[in-house]
Amino acid sequence: MSSKDHENRPLLQVEGLRARIGETEILKGLSLAVNLGEVHAIMGPNGSGKSTFAGVLAGRDHAEVTAGSAILDGRDLLAMPPEERAKAGLFLGFQYPVEIPGVGNLYFLRTALNAQRKARGEEELDAVDFLEYVKDRMKLVEMDPTFMSRGLNEGFSGGEKKRNEVLQMAVLEPRLAILDEIDSGLDIDALRIVAQGVQALRGPKRSTVLVTHYQRLLEYVVPDVVHVMAAGRIVLSGGRELALELEKKGYAWIDEEAQRGAFAISAQGAP
Amino acid sequence: MIPFAEALLQEAARSAPLPAFAADLRRAGRATFEALGLPTAHLEDWRFTSLAPLASQPFSPGDPEAPLAAADLERQAGTGAGPRLVFVNGRLREDLSRPSRAFYAGSLARALRECPALAEPHLGRVAPLDGHPFAALNAALWADGALVHLPAATALVEPVELVFATVGTGAAAASAPRVLVVAEPGSEGTVVERYLALGPGPALTSAVTEVALGEGARVDHYQVQDQPANAFHFAFVGVEAEREAGFHTHSTALGAAISRSDVKVRLAGEGAEASVEGLYMTDGRRLVDNHSVVEHAKPHGTSREVFKGILDGESRAVFGGRVRVLEGALKTDAHQMNSNLLLSRDATVDAMPQLEIYADDVKCGHGGTVGQLDPDALFYLRSRGLPLAHARSLLIYAFAREMVDRVRLPALRERVGRLVAGRLPEGARVLEAA
Repeated sequence: MSSKDHENRPLLQVEGLRARIGETEILKGLSLAVNLGEVHAIMGPNGSGKSTFAGVLAGRDHAEVTAGSAILDGRDLLAMPPEERAKAGLFLGFQYPVEIPGVGNLYFLRTALNAQRKARGEEELDAVDFLEYVKDRMKLVEMDPTFMSRGLNEGFSGGEKKRNEVLQMAVLEPRLAILDEIDSGLDIDALRIVAQGVQALRGPKRSTVLVTHYQRLLEYVVPDVVHVMAAGRIVLSGGRELALELEKKGYAWIDEEAQRGAFAISAQGAP
Repeated sequence: MIPFAEALLQEAARSAPLPAFAADLRRAGRATFEALGLPTAHLEDWRFTSLAPLASQPFSPGDPEAPLAAADLERQAGTGAGPRLVFVNGRLREDLSRPSRAFYAGSLARALRECPALAEPHLGRVAPLDGHPFAALNAALWADGALVHLPAATALVEPVELVFATVGTGAAAASAPRVLVVAEPGSEGTVVERYLALGPGPALTSAVTEVALGEGARVDHYQVQDQPANAFHFAFVGVEAEREAGFHTHSTALGAAISRSDVKVRLAGEGAEASVEGLYMTDGRRLVDNHSVVEHAKPHGTSREVFKGILDGESRAVFGGRVRVLEGALKTDAHQMNSNLLLSRDATVDAMPQLEIYADDVKCGHGGTVGQLDPDALFYLRSRGLPLAHARSLLIYAFAREMVDRVRLPALRERVGRLVAGRLPEGARVLEAA
């Protein structure tokens, strides 16, 4: 394939993705395309499958993929273990980041970065160089340096955990970041800091997918495209105004329409 | 009688004469062992611990003069800084040892010749045979070991390091070292015991440690066992703590085909404290067994027990923890915890916490967990680009780390951390995380 073809293709291309947890099908033929440099928002009611989708892309094995494809930068995501997806440039910001006492925050970040640098054929950073680098990145999320010497997310408040997710993203500089409800459980100051971090990393060389229930975050990080997800599929796509409409009208009508099968065709036409 | 035991007992009968009280102990040990033989699954404390692989081994007494290269010793036990006594097949080797200038830490056999009065009140009393086959075997076989005497009202900063190497020169070698720590009233000291097995054949180590703590004495005690997978290790620790005395013991059991540890602590005086801790790792078809009995005999005693284990393969762990609160031991505060991390479906844990309480107004509890690696944590680490083996190693070490951190001596803590990490696939990288 020529490099020109490469440029014309979306960074992320998901087609007809189906996945189930146990006997219950959660993703029912989801399609989505994200171009390089774009910020997309996926909104939708609870239970629509947003978090499952984010997890499936990152390689969490709680759901079993039964059909469809997900291509990142020309590579088949679904064929790779989670660590290979990360090395391919995917980052998942967790809705509930895990606390791991006994694994130092700073060490973890450096190990993760070096695993990825190594995979890209770049030189690994030593402790001193890394410290300089991470200090700079920490300013983005206004994080207290003492957090670095603690266990990974150990004893962090909800807001601190989310800031740590954004810090990890800032350190790892992924090609595609999927942020799963990065705004949930944040007070207004924490939301501003997290949004500021996300916004600062925006650029022509990477893309972001914000999975969110609320419009609030999108006031700070204005998306290029807004998708609405219901019953395991993207059912509507539009510009920023779609988010505002959802905010006004709520999700109930989406659910009702989806139940009736009203989106059966339009969903496939997502940009 | 098991063939190997017969050979060992015959050899012991030829050893140097002992003071009467020590000779009595040896006789009692022999009689008890001859009556008991190797324990079978019919004994409650040995229900889950089959010794079948042991019985058929052709053990003979290890040669105390067996060569032990300084380089081998260093590789296995580091160089250490303070006083160090090295025992080869149960006997002190002066050529490999560094004595202490500040107090007596030396050969038990020599102490029995030169100052028997120091040992007489305690030897064989603090760790009674009590129907324990390996306490009896050791009593029947021991020829030497260490006496550590902590003088009254003196805090000794330097830890005493005792290195016990069972060294086979071809055949299967056995050794039965014995340690007696006499902590006079108001004394403080630290004793580190390391158990090594070297040489091509299987090694059998049957060790007994007795610690007598006088009023207000404090002893910090460690055992580190990192032997090859064909070794058999039995360690029996008996402790008696007088009024306001404090005893802390911490064991790290990483190797051996069968590794069995018994700790018996008697809080004999009011307000005495004991803390009994252990970390064990096992894999393949190995077995590790930790039994403990903490007896509260007087009021206001405190005991804490924490054991953590990591099991892989088809290995087994046994934990038997008994807390006994005698009549009148009011305001006893005892707690016991045993947590296990199973890395394989075929590994098993048998945990038997037992509380026997004969006093009112006490606070006693126990808890335990058996779990697997948290799949969410594993996914979290992998999602950042850490390979599976590295992520697993990090989480396993994170589980063990609490026990590593409980080692109070910084140099030993680092050493134990390295030994634990050394048994993980990505050990070297994992240590940086701590």
